Amino acid sequence: MSLLTTSVGSFPKPPYLARARTQHSKGEIPDEGLRALEERATKEWVAFQEEIGIDVLVDGEQYRGDMATYFAENLEGCEVSGLVRSYGNRYYKKPVVVGELSRTGPITVDWWRWAQGLTRKPLKGMLTGPYTMMDWSFNEHYPSREDLALAFAKVLHQEARDLEAAGARVIQIDEPALSTRTDELDLVVKALGAVTRGLAAKTITHTCYGNYERVFPYFNKLPVDQLDLEMSNSGLDLLDRFRREPLKKEIAFGVVDVHTHVVESEGQVRERIERALEFFPPERLIIDPDCGLKTRTVDEAQGKLRAMVAATRAVKEARGLR
Amino acid sequence: MVSTTLVGSYPRIGETPEEQRLRRAIAKFDEDKISEMDLWEVERSVVKEVLGEQRAAGIALPTDGQVTWYDSQSHFARHFDGVQVDGLVRYFDTNTYYRQPVVAGPIRWRENSVVDEWRFAASVAGGPVKAVVTGPYTLATLAKVDGRTKRDLVREFADSIATEVRALRTAGATHIQVDEPAITRNQEDGTLVAEAVETVTADKGKAWFCLFTYFGDVAGILDDLAALPIDNLGLDLVQGDRNWKALAGQGSEVPLTLGVIDARNTRRDDPATIAKSALALKGKVPLEESYVSPSNGLEFLPRDKAREKLRLVVESARRLEAGL
Repeated sequence: MSLLTTSVGSFPKPPYLARARTQHSKGEIPDEGLRALEERATKEWVAFQEEIGIDVLVDGEQYRGDMATYFAENLEGCEVSGLVRSYGNRYYKKPVVVGELSRTGPITVDWWRWAQGLTRKPLKGMLTGPYTMMDWSFNEHYPSREDLALAFAKVLHQEARDLEAAGARVIQIDEPALSTRTDELDLVVKALGAVTRGLAAKTITHTCYGNYERVFPYFNKLPVDQLDLEMSNSGLDLLDRFRREPLKKEIAFGVVDVHTHVVESEGQVRERIERALEFFPPERLIIDPDCGLKTRTVDEAQGKLRAMVAATRAVKEARGLR
Repeated sequence: MVSTTLVGSYPRIGETPEEQRLRRAIAKFDEDKISEMDLWEVERSVVKEVLGEQRAAGIALPTDGQVTWYDSQSHFARHFDGVQVDGLVRYFDTNTYYRQPVVAGPIRWRENSVVDEWRFAASVAGGPVKAVVTGPYTLATLAKVDGRTKRDLVREFADSIATEVRALRTAGATHIQVDEPAITRNQEDGTLVAEAVETVTADKGKAWFCLFTYFGDVAGILDDLAALPIDNLGLDLVQGDRNWKALAGQGSEVPLTLGVIDARNTRRDDPATIAKSALALKGKVPLEESYVSPSNGLEFLPRDKAREKLRLVVESARRLEAGL
């Protein structure tokens, strides 16, 4: 198999679910009412991915808010902060670690099992990585950043084990904060390794928004099978660096920009795939969007995914790839 | 007497609906549902609220909380000719983003960036308000450049910031702070910061002038920075905890702003421990003329925690004063 297609994780929530989440937060609809709509939206996204022919599916994270606070809400020793500004008029809540971290039970497994039951294709288990969880949390308990990252790694390893036991063949551990402090890259490798050690499932890490100049030498050290990178938002300018420092693992290559409302044409995406093929063999090249699509509208996200799949299909046909 | 101040920013929204009025107003403004004047009214009411919270906590030298700033870079760059404002880039090691200035020609100050904001804050504060500007070295470091050398770029930004400082002084500002966080990441560029500070302070008149560095230490160039023509040197003593050792070894003749309250974490700081650490510098640093502050701007914290940090600043200063 070559040029498999996938997605990074999140999809936009349909308007009916966005409204319901607001109502739920005000106590206007019960948990089970919200859950029913989350299931409906998940079904719709799984069906869409199957319909257009994506190879490795995601559940679209319709039941998650922020990627870090979702785990914070489900861990002992963790609380959620008040609002903090991200940029402009955007605010988010952060995890606050107030005690020893532990799981009371699996966090993502029930949703994964339910969503996997909707399709015969593989569906990724999705975790937020230990370094990112640490970097995006307030730490009121652990003595150091390393201690906290490794504490998150311990519970995320348990979660990955449970996903694997439930049947997950692919587990993605997102580390968008990977390049935040380049003096801590050894810690990223150590913490990520503590999550992936002993797993038989294929492991992936996704990262984005970084100045990768100093991160590059670490790409091959990251203890995962596949590296998922934002490529199109930066105009594919990372590619030349890969010529000098070849990647020794699979790459999931972002071919559509998630930060623009403009839906790329099939031709544009095809050009990006052709460029990628100058650097990576098709059996180790996976095609996906730059990042999670949750900030786009449903129509934009679906348009981008359709362009991605159509372009991949066209490249495969032109090259006689299976 | 040991005094107290803020570094600059303060959370502009809180958890209550009333404390979120600016967020709602910006959203409505973006949808053309309210006018620029309506938005200003809300911004100004929040500036008053932020000054009030500082006053209530006992902060002696407040700021306007940078309530109207989109970010610390584009807030200045968009008022300079020769610079355009581009997409979002991560701001140092925070989980926040700034719109990146792109230098596309000779940099020239075109119009005031912060003077009107400072004037309003000063009119309602009932006491001195510190004006804060981003430093030329940091502006040059975080901008996308067009091939010019960094030295040239710093010089051009320094001329523009010097013009802004003159305008602040003319408007009546008595306390002016220039922020240079980027130097904590490139201490080998200390001479560039020195040249920029000399340009910016050349015409500061009698205004009290502080150079503040944060998001790390400046231990390797502490002597050089303390020797600049400034009235106060602001240091991050949390993320830049190596500054403690440098101060203990070299001391400082210039009074300091001691950034001792952790502005990046919600953990409650211990004023007794902080005062004890600061008192260890007695005789090496003019503590009586120094300030206690958070380690950097407070906008990285939720509003309730920022309020608590204000109280901890004041309590730490009180304990330090008592020990002198």
